[in-house]
Amino acid sequence: MQSSNNPVQAGSSSGGFTKPAIFTVTAILAGLVIEGLTSGSGITVPGWPANFYFLLVFSVAIAFVGLRFREKALVSWLGGIPVGLSLIIGLALLSLVGGVVPQDPAGPDSLASRLRLNGMFSSWPFAFVTLLFLFNLGLSFIWKAVPFRVANLQFMLFHGGFWIALSCGLLGSSDLQRLVIPLYEGQESSIAYEMPSEKPVHVPYSIYLKEFVINEYVPQLALYDPEGDKVIADKSRMLPEAKKGAKAEWPGIATVTVLDYLPSAAPDAKGNPVPALNRKGVSVVKVRVVEDGKSYDEWITDGGPDVKPRFIPVGKYFLVMKAGPPKAFRSDVMIKGIDGERRTELLEVNKPVDFRGWKLYQMGYDEKAGRWSTMSLVEAVHDPWLPAVYCGFFMIMAGNLLYFWKGVKKMEAA
Amino acid sequence: MTLNEFPLIALAAISCWGVGSILQIPAAKSKLFQGISWLFLLLGSAVLVLFLTSYWIVLERPPLRTLGETRLWYATLIPLVGFLVEYRWKIKWLKYYCIGLASFFLIINYAYPDVFEKALMPALQSPWFIPHVVVYLVAYVLLAASAVSGWHNVLLNFRSKRSTVSESMSHYLALLGFVLLTFGLVFGALWAKEAWGHYWTWDPKETWAFISWLAYLGYLHLVARKTDPRSLQWYLGLSFIVLLVCWFGVNYLPSAQNSVHTYSG
Ligand code: HEM
Repeated sequence: MQSSNNPVQAGSSSGGFTKPAIFTVTAILAGLVIEGLTSGSGITVPGWPANFYFLLVFSVAIAFVGLRFREKALVSWLGGIPVGLSLIIGLALLSLVGGVVPQDPAGPDSLASRLRLNGMFSSWPFAFVTLLFLFNLGLSFIWKAVPFRVANLQFMLFHGGFWIALSCGLLGSSDLQRLVIPLYEGQESSIAYEMPSEKPVHVPYSIYLKEFVINEYVPQLALYDPEGDKVIADKSRMLPEAKKGAKAEWPGIATVTVLDYLPSAAPDAKGNPVPALNRKGVSVVKVRVVEDGKSYDEWITDGGPDVKPRFIPVGKYFLVMKAGPPKAFRSDVMIKGIDGERRTELLEVNKPVDFRGWKLYQMGYDEKAGRWSTMSLVEAVHDPWLPAVYCGFFMIMAGNLLYFWKGVKKMEAA
Repeated sequence: MTLNEFPLIALAAISCWGVGSILQIPAAKSKLFQGISWLFLLLGSAVLVLFLTSYWIVLERPPLRTLGETRLWYATLIPLVGFLVEYRWKIKWLKYYCIGLASFFLIINYAYPDVFEKALMPALQSPWFIPHVVVYLVAYVLLAASAVSGWHNVLLNFRSKRSTVSESMSHYLALLGFVLLTFGLVFGALWAKEAWGHYWTWDPKETWAFISWLAYLGYLHLVARKTDPRSLQWYLGLSFIVLLVCWFGVNYLPSAQNSVHTYSG
């Protein structure tokens, strides 16, 4: 740790930061001028293999400049902390704008869209600052890497990892494909759509949807007030769950006991709900209501395609069933490669499936149909640069562990 | 226990901390009072730990989904940091700030009760959920403590009572906080890949997490440049404001209307 009487070092006086700050501001302004002249058209990262060649040339240039001209004042300035710090601040400020201004299409005449403040992360100012940032970070890396010393490992992991993750993430973004594949039960599809343009794309496999299933949380009972159009509830108290045996009390209005809960039921010939095996069943709650000393048994449901919702008038209110939100939804699918390989898979949120370089995600369903949806939306993602970015992530984490270790040790010594 | 018992719990915790703090006065001279004082201080935290545990059981999911729920964790953990700092560095004043901050969070939760809800949307039902959120929580706790001690040092410097021990404490809290912030960020990216298809989408919450990470990255490089620690105390105090925006403020920004993260509102 710094000792208390450490004098302020010459290089860290504010003068040391004036030039780097001007440098960074110039880069940002240059970017803004380009955006202004092109009315905010932004930068398009070239796709494979041009982006790869660019990365190659860029890294070789950094290594060459760093090792060959290390002694030159300009180069050591470009790779020094003051420039790095002002670029970090520049990056933070640009991100700040990007984090406050909505990053959506805006009217073409708005200031945000003419300067591309609404597309900050693909704008020229952002590109210039990250490019200089990578240059500076790359120089600092190469100076610590050559000659190699174990003591510099933590530095190399941190700085090298971030360099790789940032450069590959940004340059690889043009090769990233994120497509949506709508699937219908009993049908097969190999047509995906680019979003938001909805441009159709053929993917090199097809997916057959056997079945789409939603599990819901247990429904809840609620007392609905038609006059105020609201549910009578204390916000911090959970609505009573419709579990068998559960008891709910609305003091002065009614007491309700759940006699039975059928997750999937249909009315029989007499109109009484009985458990149903087919997928069209609705959730039904049988209850005993005690109101002014009277007691009666009834059933309620929020309905479905073949069954109307049903509720119980209680005084001037209605006892209703509120369906639970979705707990899980999954698609039972068969994926076929163009060479005929077949695989049966279950697509579920958080459990994507890998198929030949593609990751398939359970994305959504027909929300209007809710649990009766026979349509499933699958997202297909192809990201050839992912391994490089992950390599950067793991280097950062390894550097982080070492840093933690060193920090704790120093602390113990302090 | 559910949120119905929360007001009582909050009152109990704050009272215990209050009594424990007052008893610190006679504790300076008496071993007995010192013991009793610490008993009360720790009891205040124990009450909250008990509440969190039983709330977790009733919810059938970790109480980490809403801002109110994370404030609960914050109120539980931050005084513990103050206690540990006293144990480790013999610095006594930090715990009062920490208790003050924790009580403030409990009062916010009392004034704006959370909706009590068990449901956890499918994207959150991930093995990454707990590590990501817990790492972030602890990072925030440490960085809050470092900001508090940064401000305290600023005051000390005004009164020409500079303390280098206290400066080194704010530094180590920031350092550990940064390490956890970095893990939180990377875990978040790895989780996003599994849940949403891409590791980074410049969603407002991600953008702000990146900005706060950059703020502390700036701090570490200022330290590496041997900047005068006295100016760095200001920096630490101010960086925390960025972190607060990232944590509570993002939901209110115009950019956040379509954020996938605003469920935690
Ligand atoms: C903007 C470009 C950057 C430059 C020029 C730069 C340069 C430096 C330098 C020269 C040091 C001092 C090393 C020493 O004293 O041995 C340092 C330390 C450090 N840098 Fe960077 N760095 C940059 C970006 C980053 C990034 C992106 C990360 C995180 C991924 C990072 C994390 C660290 C850490 C954790 C330390 C250790 C500080 C300490 O030991 O107290 N740096 N950096």
